[in-house]
Amino acid sequence: MNQSVKVSRTLNLTDILVTIVVSLVFGLIFRLMGPVYDLFKSFGLQMDALIYGIWFIAGPFAAVLIRKPGAAFLAETVAALAEVLFGGSGGIVNLYYGLIQGLFSEAIFAAVFYRRFSLIPAILSGLAASAGSLILDVYYGYLTDLAGWNLTLNIVFRFIGSALLAGLFPYVLVKGLEKTGVTQLIRPVSKEDYDVLNK
Amino acid sequence: MDIKWTRGKNWLAEINPSYKLLIIAALFIVFLCVDNLNVMIWSSLFFLIVYLMHRSIPVKLSIILLFMALLTSLFSMTAMTLFGKGTHLLFQFGLIRISTESLARGLMLGLRSFTFGMLSLIFATTTEPVPFFYSLMQQCRMPVRFAYGFLAAFRMLPMMAEEFQILRQALKVRGLSRAKGVAATYNRFKRYCLTMLVQSIRRAQRTAVAMEAKRFSMTEARTFYYSIGWSRYDFFFSLLIGFTVAASFILAVWIPLTPFVHVLDQY
Repeated sequence: MNQSVKVSRTLNLTDILVTIVVSLVFGLIFRLMGPVYDLFKSFGLQMDALIYGIWFIAGPFAAVLIRKPGAAFLAETVAALAEVLFGGSGGIVNLYYGLIQGLFSEAIFAAVFYRRFSLIPAILSGLAASAGSLILDVYYGYLTDLAGWNLTLNIVFRFIGSALLAGLFPYVLVKGLEKTGVTQLIRPVSKEDYDVLNK
Repeated sequence: MDIKWTRGKNWLAEINPSYKLLIIAALFIVFLCVDNLNVMIWSSLFFLIVYLMHRSIPVKLSIILLFMALLTSLFSMTAMTLFGKGTHLLFQFGLIRISTESLARGLMLGLRSFTFGMLSLIFATTTEPVPFFYSLMQQCRMPVRFAYGFLAAFRMLPMMAEEFQILRQALKVRGLSRAKGVAATYNRFKRYCLTMLVQSIRRAQRTAVAMEAKRFSMTEARTFYYSIGWSRYDFFFSLLIGFTVAASFILAVWIPLTPFVHVLDQY
């Protein structure tokens, strides 16, 4: 009887608060991992690009968790702003990176009309965020002036790292959360839920 | 996290926080367009002086943070310096090819990272979350749901820290922190992550329900407990930043320390 119920697609206060709290934690992790990332840079062999994916995690995680438009962008931006407030080494630069990563992350879920939140969109979203950061790195980090092999190493490491750390890992985490039942508190009621009632 | 409105006599903490963020954000655009190494050298020097002169944190901590910012800048120039493109070779060993161009570009990246490191430390040590978000709501018209959401989330951080301690002790007392091996490490990691996340999500949801029960942001009109306005310090800050940036551009022309006026060109 309730199958025509229109599910709200806008972020309500619960979604916003959950996204912000989770992103703030990610922001703190970004801040704490900052020195590690800088240390990985030291040999010039692009080892830092391998763990770059950690910085794209907030977007895909929030999108897969909340399953609503805007969650990925909000999460990545909030995490970046938190990193700025905690005094991360990049400073304001992080906010720009966060904005562009959030936009690219969000674009993948928008491209599937916010209907699928499975592993493939999550990985694509992580990869998209890393592509977004690549654009900024070309201008801000003079990436194209690196020797060919070094640039290739950077790009390959970056995409591998982000597919695993920003695609697979958040998906596994959300799957774990689903088992605990906590996701039922925040996700919009789906058609399946009503079907259960009608049985 | 206590709300501290002033930290001693520091005037940088008195600036309108949104304005401070906006100015620093604008500086990013300015320095993104700069490819003159001399400008970067002078501006890093000036922003270092500004950082050293602002006294919002104890001297010892300030030196440690400065040292870390220096290390960060040094690390961020290695890849470009050692493996950058360039034709005028200075040093070659295996894959390492240091050329004049790669050195100049590496220095450029290092100094840029240093400048923003200094700005970041100045911003982070003189900006409190509470006035910052009140200012974002009042000056930048940030929706109150986001700003108060942020502030509520900030309040949850100490609770999370306490929870983390309890979790660690609970795992320790059950002998789970002793297990070794890759699988055990993965399980331990997952245990920490999931437990912390579940608790945070539950707490956030409870808070949201409580806020909505009190009709939070359901009416249009709103007054603010703290009103953040403008002061003469905003003007001083504009002068300081304007002077610093102008001085680095002028000195780069008057006293060019290096011949690299366009680091992206070929020499």
